[in-house]
Amino acid sequence: MNFISCEDVVYEYYSYDEETEEKIPLVAVDGVTLDIQKGEFVALLGANGSGKSTLAKLLNALNIPKSGVVTVKGLSSSDIKNTREIRKSVGMVFQNPDNQIVASIVEAEVAFGVENLGIPSKEIRERVDKSLASVEMLKFLKSSPMELSGGQKQRISVAGILAMRPECIIFDESTAMLDPIGRKDVLENAFKLNKEQGMTVILITHYMDECVNADRLVIMSNGKIVEQGKPCDLLTDSERMKSLKLEVTPATELAYRLSSFGIDLEKKILTVDELYQNLMKLNMDKSKAPVVDNKRRETGEAIIELKDLCYGYSGSDLKKHAVLEHVSFDIKKGEILGIIGHTGSGKSTLIQHMNALLFADEGEVLYKGKNVASDKKELKKIRQSVGMVFQYPENQLFESNIFDEVAFGPKNMGIEGEELKERVYSSLKMVGISDTMCKSSPFALSGGQKRRVAIAGVLAMDPEVLVLDEPMAGLDPYSRKEILSNIRELNVKHGITIVIVSHSMDEIASFADRILVMNEGRVERLGYADEVFSNAGELNKIGLDVPQMTQLFDKLRESGYKLPKGVYTVDTAEKLLKELIIK
Amino acid sequence: MNLILGQYYPAESFVHRLDPRTKINSVILYIIAVFLANNILGYVICGLMLLLIFYLSKIPLRLCLKSLKSIFVIIIFTVIFNLVLIRTGEVWFEFGIIKITSDGAKTTAELCVRLMLLVVGSGFLTFTTTPLNLCDGIERLIRPICFGKVSSQEIAMMMSIALRFIPTLSDELNKIRKAQIARGADFESGGLINRAKALLPLLVPLFVSSFRRADELAMAMESRCYSSEIRRSRLHELSYGKKDMLAYAVMLMFTLCVFVSRFAI
Repeated sequence: MNFISCEDVVYEYYSYDEETEEKIPLVAVDGVTLDIQKGEFVALLGANGSGKSTLAKLLNALNIPKSGVVTVKGLSSSDIKNTREIRKSVGMVFQNPDNQIVASIVEAEVAFGVENLGIPSKEIRERVDKSLASVEMLKFLKSSPMELSGGQKQRISVAGILAMRPECIIFDESTAMLDPIGRKDVLENAFKLNKEQGMTVILITHYMDECVNADRLVIMSNGKIVEQGKPCDLLTDSERMKSLKLEVTPATELAYRLSSFGIDLEKKILTVDELYQNLMKLNMDKSKAPVVDNKRRETGEAIIELKDLCYGYSGSDLKKHAVLEHVSFDIKKGEILGIIGHTGSGKSTLIQHMNALLFADEGEVLYKGKNVASDKKELKKIRQSVGMVFQYPENQLFESNIFDEVAFGPKNMGIEGEELKERVYSSLKMVGISDTMCKSSPFALSGGQKRRVAIAGVLAMDPEVLVLDEPMAGLDPYSRKEILSNIRELNVKHGITIVIVSHSMDEIASFADRILVMNEGRVERLGYADEVFSNAGELNKIGLDVPQMTQLFDKLRESGYKLPKGVYTVDTAEKLLKELIIK
Repeated sequence: MNLILGQYYPAESFVHRLDPRTKINSVILYIIAVFLANNILGYVICGLMLLLIFYLSKIPLRLCLKSLKSIFVIIIFTVIFNLVLIRTGEVWFEFGIIKITSDGAKTTAELCVRLMLLVVGSGFLTFTTTPLNLCDGIERLIRPICFGKVSSQEIAMMMSIALRFIPTLSDELNKIRKAQIARGADFESGGLINRAKALLPLLVPLFVSSFRRADELAMAMESRCYSSEIRRSRLHELSYGKKDMLAYAVMLMFTLCVFVSRFAI
């Protein structure tokens, strides 16, 4: 018997049309048939809006199918009597770690589900301790979940489900809002549960590198299952993945390009290691030393200078905690500066100094040579010149239509009439939102669109420098690419200096002119991308990832090939390897 | 201020270890006693009780005094109003329309003492009990009077979720505030109406996000088998111990003493 089985399942959402007062059905899951066996590790991949999360909620009776049948252990979810048993067997970890935690103490949080099952206190105690131990969080028993990192919060949620003794856990985009360390943490846990305890795991994600080790991969698009099979068969088809608004890893992309060039490689390459092994089998010229031409863009003089910045806050223990320690660097006019570092490395605190939202304890910030903190009356001007887009900027939207939303900033600066209109329209155009949408509510937009409207709201203030804190966070690969190309356009076409904070090494590498690496409140490294990646070992030491191409080239160099340091894009890697390979 | 723990002062003491129900009921008895007291003897007994609790709870003196500071303004107003408005009794001092009398002075002194006893005394409940524990206590106490559609379990769940989300929402508010300041919003200048208007860019996003959070939380709770119809068990079931019986006995004796003191003088 199948553990979970879906037969021709259809699920609809209803949106409400205010004008005609009609309910408009929107098919989210459209005729899905899927069987999942006990002990399987299934990855469910799809772009935003492909219906993967809706399907997940159908599997533990949070959604009931409109037609078709979902059964868990033979119990149909349409029968309300089975709901409890199904939810007990199939636990679910959600996306936002903050919004699924019920209690203010870790042990109470883990106990919550078990308490709902009406199990006696003594057994609850045992189960709570055991499941916390199995996610290695026992020492946080009495802590407040709010003091934990994102990855740790998700572990607590896993423990809460484990305590209910389920047979299957669904991770519904549980890694989407985490930093790379948190992501790894959650993934390793999921695989451990599957391998060691035989737990059935369904992992829903839009990061394809997370699906590589799954037993089976299911790809959804527009509410339908479009592909099913082994990850190595599906994930290596670069063209097909792109058509599904997904992406392939740089290693796969490179392998794909080399194969189409006529180089004999195995078809199914997913990781850097596999690609390396394959390349080593080829006949490559060890004597050749191809050179790389790292084009560096001309940039202007310093527009923002940070000089010996120190900042700290006093915690509840009244001690001073240093967040930034003696940070000094320049931002050059017209450049794209990428800032990378761990959660807690001081990135977000740092950028808030750039437009006088925070003031340094020591040191100073100069904008065009003038100290931003010197004249408190000029603060508005500084904040206009240095626009700031915070993380998840869509959370700051408040107006009833898009026009007013974007006009909020310029209106605060006293701009009215035709000029206001022009500013709003031109900034909406800059982010690729059509004028015709101006009257609709920003809340009715999709996630990626909301974000772009929020960015337009900052652009309408006509800033010279735009600072963005993780502008791609939580978006699927397709929307990430869109936002990135929007931002690049702002820089190239409109000459806006860009400062961008990100977790994703590969994205930053392909995008920024210079990269600033922050570690524990200090500048770890600052330089052009090829300089920063020329010493991968040091980045690894502080726990940061290195772009896949850099990893590959470092390995090849160790094996005796005369390849240059600091290669980080697929394009350069492709060019260099083609020179080496003797057909 | 630590929003998660409120006023809680972590320590290992007799009072800290009492069942929250004992502490809540004791505070009620104490308040009754303070209002029953009507002469020096009564107030002295109340004061002694306060000293005993202070000694047993190991709360630092500065913390108790801090709670007095918060009602300082109220005390000042009480003093002024009572001194000036009560005009009966022997006149001690007269200047223009201001007339201070013996009755006025007596009432004022009595009110001040009462206020201080009340504030400091009830402060011990929150100093020695975590909000979560307090919730549990309240839930058990109201269980017998809850019936029909309102269940004490749901009320307790609401209280603990509120506690859980206070720090999250205050973080969120701070983030939104900064984002809007970066867009040139001004929360500090302008008249009353303008200031109220300026709050919209803060409150609307906060409400929107609270609703979204509530929605997601409800989903997460449901997926973990929560339902208002089930009887939940608890990790920590509250149970009375010997200490609690002792505390109840002392509190009852104390209230009785204060009651008797009314007829002593």
